[in-house]
Amino acid sequence: MNYVASDLKVVGTRPVRPDGVDKVTGRAVFAADTRAAGMLWGKIKRSPHAHARILSIDTSKAAALPGVKAVVTAADFPDIPSEEAFVGEGPMNFRDLALNVMARSKALYEGHAIAAVAATTQEIADRALELIDVQYEVLPFVIDVEAAMAPDAPILHDDLFTAGVNPKAEKPSNIAKVVTFKKGDVEAGFKDAEVVVEGRYTTQPVHQAYIEPHACLASYQPDGQVSIHASSQGHFMVRAYTAKLLGMDMANIRVNPAEIGGGFGGKTLIYLEPVAVALSKKAGRPVKIQMTREEVFRGSGPTSGATVEVKIGAKKDGTIVAAQQVLKYQAGAFPGSPIGPGCMCGFAMYDLPNVDVVGYDVVSNRPKVAAYRAPGAPITSFAVESAIDDLARKLGMDPLTLREKNAAKNGTKTHYGPVHQNIGFTAVLDAVKAHPHWKTPVKDGQGRGLAVGFWFNIGGESTATVHVNEDGSVTVATGSPDIGGSRASMGMMVAEVLGIDVARVKATVADTASIGFTHLTGGSRVTFATGMAATQAAEKVVDDLKKRAAATWEIPVEAVEWKDGKAYPAGSNAGAFEPLDLAALALKAARTGGPIVAEVSVNAQGAGAGFGAHICDVSVDKETGHVTIERYTAVQDVGRAIHPSYVEGQIQGGAAQGIGWALNEEYIYNAKGQMENPGFLDYRVPVASDVPMIEAVLVEVPNPRHPFGVRGVGEVPIVPPMAAIGNAIKSATGVRMPDLPMSPPKVRAALDAAG
Amino acid sequence: MPTVHFSSGSGCQAFTGGQSEVEVEATTFRRLVLELEQRFPGLGKQVEEGMAVAIDGEIFQDAYHAELKAGSEIYLIPKIAGG
Amino acid sequence: MSSLSYAAPTTVDEAVKLLAGASGLAKVLSGGTDLLVQLRAGRLKPDLIVDTKKIPGIIGIRKGSDGGFVIGAATPGAEVEANAELNAAWPGIVEALDLIGSTQVQGRCSLAGNLCNASPAADSVPALFAAGAIAVVVGGKGKREVPVEQIPTGPGRTSLGKDEFILEFKLPPRGARSGDAYLRFIPRTEMDIAVVGCGINVTLDEKGVCTAARVALGAVSPTVIMVPEAAQVLVGHTLDADTLAKLDAAAQAAAKPITDKRGTVEYRKKVAGVLARRVAAIAFDRAQGKTNGKAH
Repeated sequence: MNYVASDLKVVGTRPVRPDGVDKVTGRAVFAADTRAAGMLWGKIKRSPHAHARILSIDTSKAAALPGVKAVVTAADFPDIPSEEAFVGEGPMNFRDLALNVMARSKALYEGHAIAAVAATTQEIADRALELIDVQYEVLPFVIDVEAAMAPDAPILHDDLFTAGVNPKAEKPSNIAKVVTFKKGDVEAGFKDAEVVVEGRYTTQPVHQAYIEPHACLASYQPDGQVSIHASSQGHFMVRAYTAKLLGMDMANIRVNPAEIGGGFGGKTLIYLEPVAVALSKKAGRPVKIQMTREEVFRGSGPTSGATVEVKIGAKKDGTIVAAQQVLKYQAGAFPGSPIGPGCMCGFAMYDLPNVDVVGYDVVSNRPKVAAYRAPGAPITSFAVESAIDDLARKLGMDPLTLREKNAAKNGTKTHYGPVHQNIGFTAVLDAVKAHPHWKTPVKDGQGRGLAVGFWFNIGGESTATVHVNEDGSVTVATGSPDIGGSRASMGMMVAEVLGIDVARVKATVADTASIGFTHLTGGSRVTFATGMAATQAAEKVVDDLKKRAAATWEIPVEAVEWKDGKAYPAGSNAGAFEPLDLAALALKAARTGGPIVAEVSVNAQGAGAGFGAHICDVSVDKETGHVTIERYTAVQDVGRAIHPSYVEGQIQGGAAQGIGWALNEEYIYNAKGQMENPGFLDYRVPVASDVPMIEAVLVEVPNPRHPFGVRGVGEVPIVPPMAAIGNAIKSATGVRMPDLPMSPPKVRAALDAAG
Repeated sequence: MPTVHFSSGSGCQAFTGGQSEVEVEATTFRRLVLELEQRFPGLGKQVEEGMAVAIDGEIFQDAYHAELKAGSEIYLIPKIAGG
Repeated sequence: MSSLSYAAPTTVDEAVKLLAGASGLAKVLSGGTDLLVQLRAGRLKPDLIVDTKKIPGIIGIRKGSDGGFVIGAATPGAEVEANAELNAAWPGIVEALDLIGSTQVQGRCSLAGNLCNASPAADSVPALFAAGAIAVVVGGKGKREVPVEQIPTGPGRTSLGKDEFILEFKLPPRGARSGDAYLRFIPRTEMDIAVVGCGINVTLDEKGVCTAARVALGAVSPTVIMVPEAAQVLVGHTLDADTLAKLDAAAQAAAKPITDKRGTVEYRKKVAGVLARRVAAIAFDRAQGKTNGKAH
């Protein structure tokens, strides 16, 4: 880290956000707003069955309908051999992705895409879908994770054999893999324990619930060039995956980023683009596809539902000596739940000598799960943090003190191997202890809960270009779609390095043809990794500007210093020259060497892990079971807040999503495995009045591996809320709620059962 | 020599015949991967494409040049993504 | 293109003729906050939409010759809520209307639309039932007055003829020492459909003893229902602990809910009892001139 907090003039301030006016006036251009001449409307026919063999698809009547210009099924896509390739976010099996985008021989969930049409109006496209005749052989289905693991469960994939077991699996199974992490000797640890708590917890699948449904506009030109506008967290990922699924050269695809109305991980993969391109190729015209809200629920990936068993043993003084977990995560129709992080994150914030964690990745007949903010971590922490709370009660210990006693510190070895370095967990716990919320006695009739959370945060590949315009204003272009204010923070970091007013810096997101490769926006990586690239590019520009000044003044470049946006002779010996600002230097750029531009690409390592702690006060209406969040404080180590309002916004947003996950969100299925609540009326995301003002407390323990000390912030805040609320309900009512959501009927039933 | 730890279920133990720990002669991560591939065919590819590596505590997602010291502890963990 | 027609008649007779003469499905449009949603979701495919908002008197609030309020059928909820006199006399109806949808929805939604959409969970309907409102129905056979509780006959169905629609609602003149209230239970705090709704209207004597009562429950039956047994529990009593317990039991007994995505049978029955008690308390307070602000 090179920039010292006390010197910062821009970083840490709160300029007006650059995208605000357009977004609140409706002028911002989202993927669904894009239009092209001759554009057709694409629509997708989806399976009504949770599990079925596709016997035949007859598209002839649909194709014959006037106004229909193209129809596609899986037959129009290459049959991809099973292949793991790490392109984009996490290991991605492209065969599975292709089958998810368009079913081949089986419909694996209600909502699974079976065919698609492109027509001149939306109405004609809808009618065309009705004319597509699909013959199904309906099969028994299974949704619940433990039911899917049962030996007699309907099997989704005949070629899926459980990985990670010894001896090797012989029969196909819905259990895709088993993972284990061990440290020390957990049996000996439990023998040594003086107090033991156990619990079994279940969570329901929840959707990322971004307010903007998936949408794209694709145009396949006669010369084979493809242009795509997509709502996505990563346009390079869209390019790569689309090319892969269509058997095309990536070089012929150009993807343009658009404003995005939320992603939270749900837009780190693709659903529509290959379909739109295939339709466009057949029709010879651009094709737009937009998901309806119902399609988003039926056809796109939520996070896993899960069961988690936890057992923790401690000494009477609160030292935890043994910790054990068994986690079973739903993957949806294809393997790939976040079981790995689920196994790693639950205990990551504690210093534990003996740990045993086993995790199962299980397929079942529902949409393939997609990433959702700290994937895997909220589920495991709901269980662990509830159990730790029970442990504190059993020990007669304050829940904060128990966590302090066992807190991971720098040098603590995790149970999955890596050693924590440069972490701020202790600072977070200290901040909780000092906070007025923690110090204020709980109000009569209310209860208080505490829970902590962890996320790794990642770095990765990013490219940034900084160039000085002829008038001395500056542009920073990156390849990172902006889902959390990254344009503002890029502009601020560049302004800081250059020493100029942030209003003179414009940040943009460049398309795949216009900037070097950039990994998608996710994993809380952009302010860290892309910020690193932007900062380094700005530093190169400063070096260049000093050279230009030196050339202008005919002095050695070592005799030039750069301060507050100007070049100065360094000391009186250098010469009595008037300082040169960006505008002056830009004016003469052609004479001093040409355009002033720097591009930097990084594969940023050293991302700093994030820790958070949430305090929640609730009141419970014991007659209706309704839980009201009365007060909520989210404390988090953010490294360095470039734009504190955005950082607070990330924390509040993650906490609000955790509150919804805790209290009311769930998929409701009927007896046929069809979703009954595919809309926000009955899929109950919190509304503004459900959530009090969430106080975000920014603790700054800088990450030394980033020039400004940045840590990723976006994902940690969704990890603690469920347990914080569960612990608060326990405190208010004496009842432990082990099953999410903690909705009113369940709370009332639990209170009745407790007598 | 650096020691490499494989967590079970990372898929690596299938290649190592159940071994959870091996010592490997290598001074960079790149060399380590090549050595692993030589000793346990298929493992190197698995490591390079599906795993993140923690070297003496620090997580690297992909870095051939990452240096290994004589007593380095290397843990192979699932690649971390995010949402 | 679709075959949807739209008409905006300027008299009752014109509107009735259009409805009577429609060959396909004709729907009346007031605020459109249910109709448009159903149209877009593809659940309804009408051939003719008859917009009644241009008919004189169908929007607006006035006093009838007996001193009772007359509310035009298509009057937007926001206009009802802004009427100070109505707020003072019928706070239960106003607060029920105020729960429909959201502020934006209330700029358009109407009492007639809420009633005739005939959702068992409609929010304004239990309050309207409890108030003893009369619907003035117009149609081919002329004008007739119908107690509102006779309008909904099942989920999405009403007793209105093909050529009939509601012109206005007449509320009874407000006697002294009378109060009404409405509460609903929803899992969130806004933007939800009632899991249970309860409207109660009472008149008390100088000693606080109930002399008249009407109790209605929503979302626990195929239609909103009147619960005479619960009303009988109140008449002749003050709201003491014994009366409250009996009221709770009567409400639970009358509730015949289903288990669906919004609630289970057992839960809805329990909450029906809880709400009946809470609504009665507010209605009694209001009848005695104790203002306790908004009930919800």
